[in-house]
Amino acid sequence: MTAPVLSVENVSVEIGGRALVEHVSFSLGPGEFAALIGPNGAGKTTLLKAILGQLPFRGSIRVNGRMGYVPQRLNFDRTLPMTVLEFLALTLQRRPVAFGIATRVRKSVSAMLERVGAGALLHKSLGGLSGGELQRVLLAAALGEGAQLLLLDEPAAGVDIEGEAAFNDLILHEVREHGAAAILVSHDLSVVADITDRVLCLNRVLMCEGKAGDLLTAETIARVFGGGKAVYDHHRPVPHTHTHGPDHHHGH
Amino acid sequence: MFEILARYFTVDWQAVILAAVLCLSLAAGSLSTIVVSNRMSFFSDAIAHSTLSGVALGLLIGVDPIATMIAAGVVVALLIAAMRQRSGLSLDTLLGVALAGSLAVGVILYHRAQGYSDLHAYLFGRVTFLDTTDLAALAGAACLSLALVGLYSNAFALLAVSRPLAQARGIRPARFDFILIVLLGLVVSVCVRAVGLLLVNALMVVPAAASRNVARSYRGMFWGALCVSVISCVAGLVLGDYFSVPPAPGIVVVAVSFFLASLLFRRGAALSVDA
Repeated sequence: MTAPVLSVENVSVEIGGRALVEHVSFSLGPGEFAALIGPNGAGKTTLLKAILGQLPFRGSIRVNGRMGYVPQRLNFDRTLPMTVLEFLALTLQRRPVAFGIATRVRKSVSAMLERVGAGALLHKSLGGLSGGELQRVLLAAALGEGAQLLLLDEPAAGVDIEGEAAFNDLILHEVREHGAAAILVSHDLSVVADITDRVLCLNRVLMCEGKAGDLLTAETIARVFGGGKAVYDHHRPVPHTHTHGPDHHHGH
Repeated sequence: MFEILARYFTVDWQAVILAAVLCLSLAAGSLSTIVVSNRMSFFSDAIAHSTLSGVALGLLIGVDPIATMIAAGVVVALLIAAMRQRSGLSLDTLLGVALAGSLAVGVILYHRAQGYSDLHAYLFGRVTFLDTTDLAALAGAACLSLALVGLYSNAFALLAVSRPLAQARGIRPARFDFILIVLLGLVVSVCVRAVGLLLVNALMVVPAAASRNVARSYRGMFWGALCVSVISCVAGLVLGDYFSVPPAPGIVVVAVSFFLASLLFRRGAALSVDA
């Protein structure tokens, strides 16, 4: 049997005396693409940060291989002068980027950007990129370094509505092509149903786990997101619930 | 003017001063980009102010003040880092307390040690009295700064963009904070001997602040900062001699002039530029 790329055992995260994630266990095999869903404040980003080693936790998290991470929104100093080429080269060469970029690295960065349809951004300033462009660059960075585990925290959040579906298709294509295991945090259940193999439903504790088609029923969604909340998508038909009359809240 | 400049190449003690000032400019200029882009400028200021306590302590207990000055800089830097980690207080609050506290303790210790006779030199520098010992210390500081750039500037650049992203790529922020803090403690303490504790921070901050206004890449910012630092230090030294003003404030005035000039050529708000 192949060893899991990610193994999460009985993980709990507590911040300021408040339990944000409790007793979560699951594992991901190579090439497996899982969605992590749950309402706002369910602990999705917290769990991802624990896997990344950015938050202290109880339990055990084992990652077999390198990780790539695409954050929900990258907050950074946009006045810092740095080109996209320099940003992507930072982890690809030992020589300081300030001393120049090796031809090999330049070619490799070009190819990374071409893969995500962002070849034209090579010499652009990182601070001058739009939300969608920046997410493409971050995806290129996550994919381009031979990561065995991709952690995608609502990667389409900074992309405009028109570009969102195309961006999700790109993620699916690249993750499949790349062959890495991936966790996609998403509110968009149509994305989850379409592109992932497995769904992990989190609401502080892991409430359900299984194949997307089997799990995304009105009943499960109501249980995870709260009984009175309807969850639906603007673009594509998805399972949704109307259990409590007019009190509808978007699941985005 | 050229006669004055020529003397720095022909007269022995002036050649030592020029070499020391060049080392100072390399040490500060190469660190400047890391300090500014990682928002450590107030940190180096607090370290600079703490060196007075070190000097005074050395004078009081009869130990070489250079050694106690460097030790004080490093110890205060580490204390700030430890307090930041344990207390969860914001860095600017801690630095405000450390800066005022270490300066006050320094002045009291200094008063107890020998009165205020040489305080002026520690506050505003003593460039014209730099000797071969200072030259060796400043050359060491320059080597340390350049080594830090050579080994870790990529990691610091990634940390400057995003700490979570850097952490995801296996860079441990706490480790790099520690490395930068200790190195800043050492380099700033050594540089204080030349330009004084009130002016040293300008050398750590102004070159990169000027350079980032006009640079279109991280590479441009680094080399721009280094050039501003070297030109400011040499020009400040020579102009100070020519106009009979102290060289340390002269160096800072030239650097600040670069910064003001850079504002005129500042990149547009859109920042949509090509490298």
